[in-house]
Amino acid sequence: MKTRASLSGAVALAGLLAGSALLLGACASTPPPTAQVAVSTAAVANAVGSGAPELAPAEMKIARDKLERANAAMSAKDYDSALLLAQQAQVDAQVAQAKAQATKARKAAETVRDGNRALSEELERKKSDTPAPRN
Amino acid sequence: MLEQARSDYRAAAETPRVGMLAAPELKQASNALTAANDAWVKKMSKTEVDHLAYLAKQRAGIAVETTQQRAAEQAVAGADASRDRMRLAARTNEADSAHRAADTARVQAEEAQRQAVLAQQQADRARADAAGSQQQAALVLQRNSELQAQLDDLHARKTDRGMVVTIGDVLFDTDRAQLRAGGLRNVEKLAGFFRQYPQRKALVEGFTDSTGTAGHNQTLSSQRADAVRTALVDLGVGGDRIRTRGYGEAFPVAGNDNPSGRQLNRRVEIVLSDESGVVAPR
Repeated sequence: MKTRASLSGAVALAGLLAGSALLLGACASTPPPTAQVAVSTAAVANAVGSGAPELAPAEMKIARDKLERANAAMSAKDYDSALLLAQQAQVDAQVAQAKAQATKARKAAETVRDGNRALSEELERKKSDTPAPRN
Repeated sequence: MLEQARSDYRAAAETPRVGMLAAPELKQASNALTAANDAWVKKMSKTEVDHLAYLAKQRAGIAVETTQQRAAEQAVAGADASRDRMRLAARTNEADSAHRAADTARVQAEEAQRQAVLAQQQADRARADAAGSQQQAALVLQRNSELQAQLDDLHARKTDRGMVVTIGDVLFDTDRAQLRAGGLRNVEKLAGFFRQYPQRKALVEGFTDSTGTAGHNQTLSSQRADAVRTALVDLGVGGDRIRTRGYGEAFPVAGNDNPSGRQLNRRVEIVLSDESGVVAPR
């Protein structure tokens, strides 16, 4: 992969946090990404509401960490880092939520399937209990 | 990071289910990957490219998870429909069973009704038969008592040869074979008996005491028996039904050494046949 900087992504991000020079060359000064942070905060809240802390804990942690770091970057007026972190926190939260919802749906499908099996067995039993018709 | 994003996206896009169930999410992942590729082509910073690649990778993951969620939801809906179908089928079965049971019960009830009617008819017939038998029995009893009454009236007595009516000496003129009025009356009663019981026949037997010659007595006894027979025939009794026999002084019923004994021996006995017309021989 050809890159301008020789640093890996994680190290580059750490560099951003340190409040070093802007890497987004085109923009001279980035406005505070308040809207993005709001969206990301909402996304994390949605993920919590969907049960992600219990059903996708690892993914949830990643999202929360990134949101924290985005807020810290906002406080430190490192708006470039804040934007990137907030954007990542948003998709991370969405991943956590998607995984939680998929898990819930799978469990529901199993439950109905088991219920149907039990119902089917019971109905078969009832049928054999009923005397056969005389013709 | 970009390689991984490309690889994750390709895997998702090549899964038919993802395109079917999570097309919008897959499109978003595609857009994100395009942005990352563009950044790379434009030789933007590694940080920027990696960031965009990360977003694309996560979006591919979201598309995959969303697919699984929607597939499971479809399975739930299908299972719900299946459960409803099973319940409906079971209820339909129960309804059908109930119908069949009701039909069977109705048929059985109708059959039982029919049997009851038949039984009633049989009972009625049996009662009618019994009544008929009773009537017949009563008739027989009545006839028997009528017969008995007539035989009593004739002063018939039972012997081992059957019923016997005796016409005594006083009913004939002395030493003659002519019946007196009283004797005729007895014969009239006898004629009535024979009219009432057409199957009956008789053997008229004449006897005398020992006075006089055997030959004379034989003749007299025969003549007296014939006189009775003639009187019966004159009263309408068929001649073929009456036979006569004279025994003379044989078969006395009393001693011939005294007048009353001799009188008893001078007699005519009418031996009545059984119902079929048979007279037992002496």
